[in-house]
Amino acid sequence: MVLSPRAANPRQRRPPRYAIAIGIAVALILVLVASSILNYVYLDTVAGRTSLYGLLAVALTALGTFIGVRGFDRDPEQRRKDFIRAGVLLGLAALLWLLLIDVFIFTGAAGPSVAVICALACLPTTAFGLWVVRRIDRNEKEPWRLVLVAAAWGAVVATSLVIWAESLWQLIAIRTLVPGPGLDVSTAFSAGILEELAKGSAVVLLFLVMRNEFDDVVDGIVYGAAVGLGFNFMESISYMTNLYAIFQPEGVGGYAAGFQWYARQVLGLFFGHATYTAFVGAGIGIARQLPDVRRKLIAIAAGFLVAIAAHFSWDAWLTLFPIEKSALGILEIHLRTLIMTGPFTAAVLALLFLGLHIESQALGDQFRKEVARGSGAITPEEVSILMSPWQRFQRRMRALGRGGLRAYFRLARLQTAQIDLAMERWHRERQEVDTPLEAEEQLRRQVLALRQKPAA
Amino acid sequence: MVAAPVDQVRTLYRTLLVYAAVSILILVAGLVEFAYFEPPGQHTGLKANITGVFQFDPANNTTTGPDRNSFPRTMLFAAVVDWSSVPENIVVDARWYDAFGNVVGSVGPATPDKLASQTIIPVRVPPGFQHNLPGHYIFVVERYEGGVPVEVIGRRVVLVER
Repeated sequence: MVLSPRAANPRQRRPPRYAIAIGIAVALILVLVASSILNYVYLDTVAGRTSLYGLLAVALTALGTFIGVRGFDRDPEQRRKDFIRAGVLLGLAALLWLLLIDVFIFTGAAGPSVAVICALACLPTTAFGLWVVRRIDRNEKEPWRLVLVAAAWGAVVATSLVIWAESLWQLIAIRTLVPGPGLDVSTAFSAGILEELAKGSAVVLLFLVMRNEFDDVVDGIVYGAAVGLGFNFMESISYMTNLYAIFQPEGVGGYAAGFQWYARQVLGLFFGHATYTAFVGAGIGIARQLPDVRRKLIAIAAGFLVAIAAHFSWDAWLTLFPIEKSALGILEIHLRTLIMTGPFTAAVLALLFLGLHIESQALGDQFRKEVARGSGAITPEEVSILMSPWQRFQRRMRALGRGGLRAYFRLARLQTAQIDLAMERWHRERQEVDTPLEAEEQLRRQVLALRQKPAA
Repeated sequence: MVAAPVDQVRTLYRTLLVYAAVSILILVAGLVEFAYFEPPGQHTGLKANITGVFQFDPANNTTTGPDRNSFPRTMLFAAVVDWSSVPENIVVDARWYDAFGNVVGSVGPATPDKLASQTIIPVRVPPGFQHNLPGHYIFVVERYEGGVPVEVIGRRVVLVER
């Protein structure tokens, strides 16, 4: 087989998926601009200044993400500069968005101190959720930077996308429909469709731009859940501050906000947005490994469909499970979540466990094939260790005892590179990579270089 | 002859398709529910005359002041409907919904002549609270068909300020 000279350099030509990613990003910005203008002209629920700050935050987030993601493909010096620029832009965007949320929407009603307390209350639970979600990818954990980018998109961009669209939908609905169950169903369709599209677009963009970090269904579920957790973070703050402002004059604002915190940040942390958007991620992750475009599109559409249906069913049929105002009500709240969202969470967990099983089997197979190749990148004794997260951790701890933190991190990097190599081999065997064979050789050289580095 | 190994990603794909099929059933159930409560082809063009929304005096069961679109949360208010503006052969009701979608005041359902003595429809303060909860309140006059409200023939949206 003869490789063409062009194929020897993977960065010569930008993959076509980048163009799709840019197209989606531009479309999202246009939707935001259009809905913002509509809002400004027809609605009076969000101040004009708010739209201005919100759009600016979204534009900065989009630009920052683009520069940051582009940086991964550049040489180290340029990458550093790109990351700094992206960090500054994302920081500015976050600042503007917090300004928008806290100053113009919430603090006017609940006050800045309440908004800060609500945000601080939601931080540890959301951080815990992200930690768990990242941990479940036991073979190859996703980089924190991308998990946090996913969560930030969920919190900032997805919420921005839905504010205007849902406001407009609600305004039209309450002026045209019969109040009651019909209107409730309409609102549930609005939340299910608009919120899942807004959150899912972040997962699609991550997949298109960072396909090297998006290996299979497991990664899709991780990124999808991370986006959901980010969205849930911002939504929790919104509900907590809003209900505090409504109920505080009656002396029960703290209880109202506290209940929201428990319902959304404890009970609903995984049984809610994290579950819904994990389905979008699962669809994209499965599409990543399917051979033909038709099935890929069906898988992505199916992921969105399940996410929308799961979200819709909660919002539409919540009132079928009324909660008594007694001690029994506490039990009922938990049972309601378990009955209504539990089956969906179980379904996404089934995909996750099956995905992990497939991934583990494939990696084991590739470890053995690499041993048989005799390159020295993976030795026969290392196969069983690399296949077990617990054994990998034990080896790292042993290295820590022998050579300190430096030895621990050196071994961690070596193990990660070996798994990356096996993952690359797996994708190549399945003909799922558009990078040339050179990329695999580069990973092999990286493993060998790490192996030869002194421990301390 | 050796059978080709089964690609397990296909199993994932098929599982997802099963989930999607169940999801379609859920969404169709939602559409059916929507169509039941919001049946198509029910627009009659009828209009109920809502005289206005005014401050309410519960002691005398009367309204005072001008027609308003917003009220402070400490102020009681009520809608006034001119039932004579509605044909006598239909069944109607009038309801107040608070910002959470709870019914916080209603009359009917009945024919307009039976509601003639109930022209003032006040908003009730929720049990256990001293004042109205803030937010947008919707007042609707609904036409009934088969025991279900099928058309809104009068509507007002009022803001209760924080």
